[in-house]
Amino acid sequence: MSSRNPRAIAVSPAGIASLLALLFLVLLLGVPLAAVVLRGLEGASWDTLGSLVADPYLQDRLGRTLLQASLSTVLTVALGLPGALAFARYDFAGKRLLRALFTVPFVMPTVVAGAGFLALVGPGGWLGVDLIDSLALVLLAHVFYNHAVVVRMVGGFLEASAPRLRDAAATLGANPIRTALRVTIPLAAPALLAAASLVFIFSFTSFGVLLLLAPAGRWDTLEVEIYQSVARLLRLDTAALLALAQLFMAMLVGGLYTTLQRRVAVPLSGSVPLPRPRWQGRMVLMATLLPSAVLTLAPLGALVYRSLVPPGAEGVTWLGWQAAFAPSGLLGVISAGDALVNSLRFAVASGALALMSGVTFAYAVVRGGWRWLDRASLLPLATSSVTLGLGVLLAWPNLAGSFWGLAFAHALIGMPFVARAVLPSLRSVPPSRLAAATVAGAGPWRRLLRIDLPAMRTSLIAGGGFAVAVSLGEFGASLVLTRPDLATLPVAIYQRLGRPGMENYAAALVLALLLMMVTAAFMVLLDRLGGPGEL
Amino acid sequence: MADVTLAIRDVEQSYGKVHALRGVNLDIPQGTTVALLGPSGCGKSTLLRVLAGLEAPDQGTIRLGEEDLTRIPPERRGVGMVFQDFALFPHLSVAQNVAFGLVEQGWSRSDRDARVGELLSLMSLEGLADRRPHALSGGQQQRVALARALAPRPSLLLLDEPLSNLDRNLRDELTVELSTLLSDLSLRALHVTHDQREAFALADQVAIMREGRILQVAPAERLHAAPHDAWVASFLGLREIVPESVARELGFAGPVLLRVERFKPNPEGAPFTVRGLTWVEHDLEYQLRTPAWPFDIRYRIRPRELPSPPPGIGDVLHLEVPDDAWTLLEVRA
Repeated sequence: MSSRNPRAIAVSPAGIASLLALLFLVLLLGVPLAAVVLRGLEGASWDTLGSLVADPYLQDRLGRTLLQASLSTVLTVALGLPGALAFARYDFAGKRLLRALFTVPFVMPTVVAGAGFLALVGPGGWLGVDLIDSLALVLLAHVFYNHAVVVRMVGGFLEASAPRLRDAAATLGANPIRTALRVTIPLAAPALLAAASLVFIFSFTSFGVLLLLAPAGRWDTLEVEIYQSVARLLRLDTAALLALAQLFMAMLVGGLYTTLQRRVAVPLSGSVPLPRPRWQGRMVLMATLLPSAVLTLAPLGALVYRSLVPPGAEGVTWLGWQAAFAPSGLLGVISAGDALVNSLRFAVASGALALMSGVTFAYAVVRGGWRWLDRASLLPLATSSVTLGLGVLLAWPNLAGSFWGLAFAHALIGMPFVARAVLPSLRSVPPSRLAAATVAGAGPWRRLLRIDLPAMRTSLIAGGGFAVAVSLGEFGASLVLTRPDLATLPVAIYQRLGRPGMENYAAALVLALLLMMVTAAFMVLLDRLGGPGEL
Repeated sequence: MADVTLAIRDVEQSYGKVHALRGVNLDIPQGTTVALLGPSGCGKSTLLRVLAGLEAPDQGTIRLGEEDLTRIPPERRGVGMVFQDFALFPHLSVAQNVAFGLVEQGWSRSDRDARVGELLSLMSLEGLADRRPHALSGGQQQRVALARALAPRPSLLLLDEPLSNLDRNLRDELTVELSTLLSDLSLRALHVTHDQREAFALADQVAIMREGRILQVAPAERLHAAPHDAWVASFLGLREIVPESVARELGFAGPVLLRVERFKPNPEGAPFTVRGLTWVEHDLEYQLRTPAWPFDIRYRIRPRELPSPPPGIGDVLHLEVPDDAWTLLEVRA
């Protein structure tokens, strides 16, 4: 309504929100990405481009990354699909607990997962096998990290749609196997493909897992290669070109994902109570869900164990803890205390920024009628974090290494989660409620304060919580943009792992444990405040 | 399939502490439509799911003639079901939805196409064969659901409030349509509903269900003439029920249903004092009291049947109370 009157745009909250959202996107995402593109294309004539495409090293890189991402996707689906089907089929004791457990890898920082797998099957690992630098370990970590995506996306979709349709198929003469073939699987196919394409992107742009678990570099992704070009080789041109290639690939698969995602969002009718499993059902449940549960718990358990009993130690020792909390600078690394404070400062600052920008976005989309911003708010998700860091570095060199530079980068990565959470609650406010408020004398600002903000309350908590969790675990952009005394916990973990000696190794695990506990405590707090958010 | 009766005997079902069915007995002969009528939560949908085989009862049996169906899985029962939300397969076209059960029964392609065509024309769905369900209106979806359930020629058709998701006008229209269809096809059908008009319009017999039990099974007119007890009478909207304590004072053995509509204005009749009156459409509704009875009655009448001018508040109206105005309801154990 107000957008029709040009004078009203300037003063209405929707108009201001639209301008702010636009400004935020352009300055923090648009300009940096443009900088990457320009830098990438700058020196690149068709000749250099040709030689780069023909470069056997890069071909090898790309080939290995594609192989790794494909295998990761196949394995993740293979483990996640039975779990998803089981979730959609039965109601059983402990289902809520399992569902919560399966979200743990989702919110756990990659560095924690990496450290967990090191503690389990790294050098001196708990299980006594050393898989470091092997493809198997990379795949294992990616499956750990992503199978929850499949279980939740596919399982959630089927749980909402399948039970009644399964009943219908049964009354029409289809036995359970025929029902699976003719109803459940065709129904789940778009959701499954959407989940698989998401897993593929995650594995294709994987960063922390590879840096920690395959440090020799045999399975480095383009993302790692970009980082190495920036940090070690100081070749921003190559980095920008690689980033461009990766961006192109991610957009391709990302486009597939959003298209499929829209098909999955077909409105579904009310759910029906699911049956409890009889004994065969229980066996199936055990067989499908137990491996997932073990895979989720084992690395985290190993992390706790190895932080107290480092390899070679006789029993519980505080060696790692002492090393981790030694004052900063003494060993050329940051102390655990300082890293924790840094992490929390970034989390609070970027959480607040993400909250403000996310709400602004949602408000501009719903009340300002700027629909296209809806899709645009997803862009930061599609852009990998190292690329983002590189973009900020190129576009705003003065911000690099400053507190606010990294805080803004974290906020940009967290913003989509806030916008995603807030959008539906804002959309669910019926127009009649706004009309009622208007008739009662509330102008646009008062409506924002008294109608829209209360409606967003729960989703603000959920979205803001996710943004904070993202900031706590953020690794790629932090590594590119940080300065030694601003190192966060994930960066500190990586620093420690790069240094020789059992002390540093144990200290890294302690730091990872610390990060895991902070994240977990935070998620529990969030759950108390307002329930879990949905992606 | 000659004259076999579906017999439901002592069926019990509970979910934890909730007893959804507490010993249900019901017979459905071939060719009859039974409406299962009751308030929400009375167990009617559970009974339907048990009959379809989607749930196994804790106790009791379901027999079709000699055959015991109780433990037979749903896919081998030959039961058709129309779900409340239709449950059409969103990934299949209208024709594929209707053909779903025929494929399971192994019909040949040409037989299948013929049968699907037959049903689509029966349901006036010609031309929609290739549409997806979400592109159809509510009424069309309902017809597809019905066609899909009927296609494999089920021995029992179950309808779970199939009209409740539709708006009023469409519902009335489809009620008539469905009623004609069910009697034409001479199917055995059980129709769950909480809407009396629907139940009476569609069914040969109406079964009244309350708290997991079937209280009474009778044709519509019998149900109105002789409701089983005070609860059934009030559920059917028969308003003037004289509670047991008062009825005993008047000399009856139990609660009584007073058929106020059978009262006639008659100057020789009993005197009723007018305590209130309102217009209800074209009728006047009086609130009346007579010294002999310790309760008010509501009496509805066309103004032209009244003495002129019509009596107002405080006036006396003389009404004849015929003997058949009293129906003794069953005394509860």
